[in-house]
Amino acid sequence: MKTLSLKRLSVLALPLAALSGLGTAAHAQEWTPTRSIEFIAPANPGGGWDTLVRTVSRVLQEENLAEQNFAAINVPGGGGAVAWAQVARDSGNPHKLFATSPPIILVPLAGASRYDHSDFTPVARLITDYSIVLVAADSEYQSINDLFDALKENPRLSIGGGSAPGSMDHIAIAGVAAAAGMDAASVNYVPFSGGGDAMTNLMGGHIEAVVTGAGEAVGQLGEGSQLRALGVSSPERLGGGLEDVPTYQEQGVDYTFDIWRGVMGAPDMPEEAVAYYEELFAEMLETDGWERARDQLGWIDAYQNSEEFGAFLDEQQEQFSGVLRELGLIAQ
Amino acid sequence: MTRLNTNQWLALVLALVAGGYLAMAWQIPTFPLPRPIDSDLFPKVLGFTLLLLAVCLFFETPSAAGAEEAEEEPATSPLFSPWGRVIVTAVAVAAYALLLVPAGFVLASTLLGAGLTAFYGYRRHVINLVTVLGVVLALYLTMTRVMDVYLPTGVLPF
Amino acid sequence: MDALNNLMYGFGIALEPINIAYVFAGVFAGTIIGMLPGLGPISALALMIPITFAMEPSSGLILMAGVYYGAIFGGSTSSILLNAPGVAGTVATSFDGYPMAKKGMAGKALAIAAYASFIGGTVSVVFLMLVAPLLSKVAVSFGPPEYFALMVLGLTAVVSLSDKSLVKGLIAAVVGIMISIVGIDLQTGTERYTFGSIQLLDGIDFLVVALGIFALAEVFYMLLRGGGGKEAPRNAIGSLKLSRSEVKEIAGPISRSSVLGFFTGVLPGAGATIGSFLGYSMEKRLAKDGDTFGQGNIKGVAAPESANNAACTGSFVPLLTLGVPGSGTTAVLLGALLVMGVNPGPMMLEQRPDVFWGVIASMYIGNIFLLVLNLPLIPLIAKILDMPKPLLLSLILIFCMIGVYGMSFSVFDLLLLLGFGLLGLGMRLFGFPAAPLILALILGNIMEESMRRALQISGGDWSIFIDKPISLALLVLAVLSLGLPLLKKRRKRAV
Repeated sequence: MKTLSLKRLSVLALPLAALSGLGTAAHAQEWTPTRSIEFIAPANPGGGWDTLVRTVSRVLQEENLAEQNFAAINVPGGGGAVAWAQVARDSGNPHKLFATSPPIILVPLAGASRYDHSDFTPVARLITDYSIVLVAADSEYQSINDLFDALKENPRLSIGGGSAPGSMDHIAIAGVAAAAGMDAASVNYVPFSGGGDAMTNLMGGHIEAVVTGAGEAVGQLGEGSQLRALGVSSPERLGGGLEDVPTYQEQGVDYTFDIWRGVMGAPDMPEEAVAYYEELFAEMLETDGWERARDQLGWIDAYQNSEEFGAFLDEQQEQFSGVLRELGLIAQ
Repeated sequence: MTRLNTNQWLALVLALVAGGYLAMAWQIPTFPLPRPIDSDLFPKVLGFTLLLLAVCLFFETPSAAGAEEAEEEPATSPLFSPWGRVIVTAVAVAAYALLLVPAGFVLASTLLGAGLTAFYGYRRHVINLVTVLGVVLALYLTMTRVMDVYLPTGVLPF
Repeated sequence: MDALNNLMYGFGIALEPINIAYVFAGVFAGTIIGMLPGLGPISALALMIPITFAMEPSSGLILMAGVYYGAIFGGSTSSILLNAPGVAGTVATSFDGYPMAKKGMAGKALAIAAYASFIGGTVSVVFLMLVAPLLSKVAVSFGPPEYFALMVLGLTAVVSLSDKSLVKGLIAAVVGIMISIVGIDLQTGTERYTFGSIQLLDGIDFLVVALGIFALAEVFYMLLRGGGGKEAPRNAIGSLKLSRSEVKEIAGPISRSSVLGFFTGVLPGAGATIGSFLGYSMEKRLAKDGDTFGQGNIKGVAAPESANNAACTGSFVPLLTLGVPGSGTTAVLLGALLVMGVNPGPMMLEQRPDVFWGVIASMYIGNIFLLVLNLPLIPLIAKILDMPKPLLLSLILIFCMIGVYGMSFSVFDLLLLLGFGLLGLGMRLFGFPAAPLILALILGNIMEESMRRALQISGGDWSIFIDKPISLALLVLAVLSLGLPLLKKRRKRAV
């Protein structure tokens, strides 16, 4: 009953404060949403963004954390560009959030979106996944260096990935190849329509190796599996079914790559609103409901608040455009 | 100069389309990494195929079915003529698309459905309204409440 | 009799009261989702993940699988009655189903669809049970060159789908491939024919085109031809009963298409839509009265309906035995399984036999439920056609709009839908067949992608398409299927 009465009190207190014109600063920090929050997944139901949006909405609701309902809305199109254009028009709106990940940097770099991460308000980074390189179980390659040595000899060897050239999987493999002293552009990256598609082709022996998200690959690894992992892009070994997979760094290739996911808001979102959401998400990550969902989905917590997230995004943009330049996919 | 038959007219239009398509195919940028087949090859092949087919069509004698014309009914006004009905419907659909978000799903759909039904000549307006509203509401509630799909609410409160 | 033991074990799970309830709920929800255009099985399943979150994995998969094959089962209804395909897999059903409905044989068309779906579904479950582990090898043996050859074989059906004028059919097919090319080219990330619009970056959705060219164009056409409310109401439904000769007539197509559909479904990426098209065009070529396909031939309903349901079951092979999704829908199912803590894949048979055999057994039950549920509903649902025509026409319009908007949430797509409706009307007035366009739209993009992928793997060497035995065999079949009808025609003329 305590929370209820407190809430009632604050309802009474708000108009009072407005009347007296007092404590604008104090109350500004206690901004709360006044209507339900539009939480946009810039894609169709079923993908990574959609899963994040729906899981977050559900956990927030189950744990009774948010004052207002988080309404999951799908705005698919253009690999996110349609949703970004829509949010960008809604400057200053504190009730509009969207799920985000590396494409917010990669799609604009490819020239397919007028808006990039700097047009929006970073709210928080929530989780991360890593990139992993797979080969067939009976392949002769035992380490990531074996694969690169073979590539140096025969640049025609094809490495499949689940996305178009210049997007996540390609950057991930090109980056680690460059770090291993190869010419990034010489990797024969073959794009498939998804990580699953690429892995099927690997099982069939149509390609030499696959680069995809570790979360997507974990189900394919383990005893009796037809596939084997050569390395993962995390700074330390991962847990669960991936504890036997060495990192690139362990194998002497100094390279890490994050497939992070987070939340951003409309441009110029008021600071008080950002503070509210930052805290809300930080609190959510501590709940049991989140822990359960996170473990089942194979996510790894990687919280950053708004400021850290913003700086991280700038860094990422620099890193990505470096790789893309090396590939010759963007002008020098 | 003999009068062109239907197929010949169609062939000319298609040839124009193919020409425009090909012009755009040449503007597709080259991919910086070497690829055996770049993005522009398929469009170019398609454009030329369409051009070739247009030529074939030009010399094909039109079948009876190809040239069938709408039997004009005696209409009271051009609006209610067969073509009038098609044009009004197309305009209504376009208006619906543009009004959907501002007016909301339920209102826009009911207006479109009931309006067109009346326009097509159905005179029992109560049945019309009740049926359309019933179907629209049923769909709306299934989508938003059961399936959790967001549809624009617009001016109505729910 | 290992399979039998396993199946008994599976039935032990599927026959638990709670699981029977889930099968029923799944196929019931699926039927309704399938009937409504726009709410396809993909989004329905994605939206169900939170519900299954806390369930026993076998129950969760039983429920979700029921929604999936239930939707394919139910999707035929709107294809037949309204010419508005409810899900992509039932587009081919409208080719003959809708003409049948127009001839006053809606009841028979729906009944055939139900029987064909039931048989296709059940036959393919038997296959799934007996040979799933073996088939996983077949599924992965299809790489880019094999897919290219398969798509070429599929595209040869354009010839048989364009009845009056081959030139016009080919033009429609070329336009179909042109539409499939719009958007970002996956092989290079380059934009093609997007006219600078971000809405077109992801390409044009198949259902927007299908609903426009079939349903919307049909509304326009009826406005143009039939007049408004002046037409006398037709005796819409007709009898549900099939005569003995009709049963004989569709037995062959159903059994052939069930097998063909199942194997198409097993191939990742092919799925129910391509399966139904292949079944349809195969039967059209085999039938003595092939030229009446498209005008309400019962075989033209039986073939695609058994093929799409069989393909739907077939798509569980790569999902359950390899852990890789073969279609958008099974990708969502895979996600759901992972959430429930099950890792589908080669180890699943040993680690979670309850899920594997439970689902298979539940599919037998589900298919029976679907038949029992759908048959009595037919006269009821077919009553839609008794509605005054002005009302029916505007409701079809609303259905199309909701279908498209509920799928893409995009006003732009609604305008595209209108554009394709007008294109479809034009095509009808000038005698261009719509089926080749739709077929090419489905196959064109996969054909281009797999061809370029294959050549990138081979380093530009074209011999990859004939060095691989499966690819070579498919290409030879393609040449034969092009050559034979032409020979047949020539012989006919000579006689």
